[in-house]
Amino acid sequence: MRRVVRVAAYVPAGASNWAAVAASDEDSFTLAATAVERVWSGRRAEPGPILVHALGDFPEVVEWGFAALLGRETVVTRSPGTASQLAKALEELEGGEGGPAIVVAVDLAETSASRTSSKSGIAGDAAVAFLLEPTESAAPLLFGKHAAGRSAVAATVRRARSEAAGGSRIMFVGDWDRGAGVGSAREAKPAGRDRSDNLGTVSEGAYIPRARYLENLPSRWRFLAEVCEACHRTTFPSRRVCRNCGRADSLTPVELPYNGGRVVAVTTVSAGGQPTEFDAQVAGSGPYDVALVELARGMRVTLQVTDIAPGTLAVGDHVDTLLRRLYPMEGEWRYGRKAVPVSTAGSRGPAKTPA
Amino acid sequence: MDGAFASVDRGADRRDVSEAFLATLGFGGHQIGNAAAALAEEAGLVGVPVTRVENACASGGFALRSALAAVSAGASPLVLVTGVEKMTDVTNARRRYWLGVSGDTEWERSAGLTFAGVYGLVASRYFAEHGDASEALAEVASKNHENGALNPNAHFHRRVTRAEVLAAPRVARPLGLFDCCPVSDGAAALLLSPPELAHRFTDTPVYVDAAGAGTDFLAVQERPELTRFRASHRAAHEAFRSAGWNRSDVSFLEVHDCFTIAELLALEDLGFAAPGEAPRMTLSGATRRDGRLPVNPDGGLKAKGHPIGATGVSQVYEIFLQLRGQAGLRQVAGADHALAHNVGGAGATAAVSLFSVG
Ligand SMILES: [Zn+2]
Repeated sequence: MRRVVRVAAYVPAGASNWAAVAASDEDSFTLAATAVERVWSGRRAEPGPILVHALGDFPEVVEWGFAALLGRETVVTRSPGTASQLAKALEELEGGEGGPAIVVAVDLAETSASRTSSKSGIAGDAAVAFLLEPTESAAPLLFGKHAAGRSAVAATVRRARSEAAGGSRIMFVGDWDRGAGVGSAREAKPAGRDRSDNLGTVSEGAYIPRARYLENLPSRWRFLAEVCEACHRTTFPSRRVCRNCGRADSLTPVELPYNGGRVVAVTTVSAGGQPTEFDAQVAGSGPYDVALVELARGMRVTLQVTDIAPGTLAVGDHVDTLLRRLYPMEGEWRYGRKAVPVSTAGSRGPAKTPA
Repeated sequence: MDGAFASVDRGADRRDVSEAFLATLGFGGHQIGNAAAALAEEAGLVGVPVTRVENACASGGFALRSALAAVSAGASPLVLVTGVEKMTDVTNARRRYWLGVSGDTEWERSAGLTFAGVYGLVASRYFAEHGDASEALAEVASKNHENGALNPNAHFHRRVTRAEVLAAPRVARPLGLFDCCPVSDGAAALLLSPPELAHRFTDTPVYVDAAGAGTDFLAVQERPELTRFRASHRAAHEAFRSAGWNRSDVSFLEVHDCFTIAELLALEDLGFAAPGEAPRMTLSGATRRDGRLPVNPDGGLKAKGHPIGATGVSQVYEIFLQLRGQAGLRQVAGADHALAHNVGGAGATAAVSLFSVG
């Protein structure tokens, strides 16, 4: 038996302004990925495979992306994003045997009207993820069959969406036992979202072959670094050789936290100053900031800044990082982390479990 | 190249050339591979060994260094060093592609940076550490445009005021349009011979006293600091030690001002200003043509232009004129020792060479 121990909800910035969200760097995978990594946060050390059940319409990356994001063997199953499917998935996983599981649901705005107004309460560009862990307890919540549990989830997401009405990003992570929030009025049904991504039009980008992109995902998505036992220095991004002493047999992998970064330098790239693969983004949403961010162990990473007006982030500001779309290449989106101001990225909601 | 041969006081021609080095990025992709053979064809040098040197914007400085080694080894009595880039005959999208190929692709480019953006980060950090230097950056642009106005080979002949520089649209905060060098076509060539043979060609040769070079991490995120280019520092250290010069021996500098902030960094990296002191030194007028240490009397990359492979060689062209007193209206009075500083990308490669006359 498993039971739901934790829930994370994520509503992107500008969720009440659907045109802004549609022009942003989010898609159903980044929404789900953010909810999944936050609900899993702090549990990275546990061995064994994890089952991820994803509900909604996703790009192909969903088949392998969670494994790269969590850095562990992952079995992905999928079903359509409806309330009844969500209840069914939770019920089956609660009753089943095996290791930890995550159920993540994303319900994008272009799905059917009936789904948008469903009792799941996760209509629109919101994601909610449930972490289920094995339990010896004879009395799991059996959430899937439990009407009260179902309405609590709906209330959780409604509350997040209501807080997001001001345009800020909302994220909260809560231990399930402590309850998941109170309800508020549901958002109006959003307009249909333009997801014509023009994936094939960019050909003038500096070329990173897909194989190399995949090879470097551990550093790009999980900030994988290496600590050298010989000289005690850290190498980031990972390059399987110590950048200080050159040894290759003395390295221990370590993941740098994806939050708690500090801005070392920041610039605003104006229209015309962007690499060609960002042309569509600039045409759609204008200039953007890029920051050099200091992570743990003094390691630094260059990240595009998102969810904030360009020109507002300053040296010394604290940032969190989230998985977002970077640019299209060879018919698919390349994903990576972007920096977001920490003031709106903090864990909010009824149970302030550190994200 | 004809100009290089024509400038030899007692004459030289293609048949005297025993080896050549070609500095070019290959902008536009017209002949990415085996560009050396294409140069031999175009220059009437078919049969002569030619080596293409590609270190992005520092290709010219590194080509000179390779040529110096060839000459010093005694293998070649007359070596041609030429740099060339044709940048204006491609579409806007291809131009922007090629402007970005020499930066770090994996992290900087995928975050949305071109070189303007990377130098924007550098300037941001410089301001954070040393205070707002906008006025000094504007002075760099204004001074170099003023010098360029006197250089018939410069891309821009128009003077700009500090106020104009400060009022221009921003490209990569805090850098604006006038903080950036233009996209230019250009070529430069020089002939190098062993000192003992030089007097066969001229009574006033310019001597290459040293050629240092260095490298650093491609991406600035892996460097311990943004406001110092260690490759420049290393190259200068090697050059000055090899030549046995002091900084005070130098009459003027040709530095790599691809963006105005780069000229401030160069003054500090090369040892002519203490960290954080370059803005004050610049605003004092010391780096103007009539100042204590003139910098970029030819207009620099900023006004002369920055045809990538040609830039490092064209700096030596200016030094050749200045040290022989042939720089006309922009002549630096009493110039007898000079330094050329050529940077690839945002400090990933750098070459520093020292020259003297008489
Ligand atoms: Zn080591």
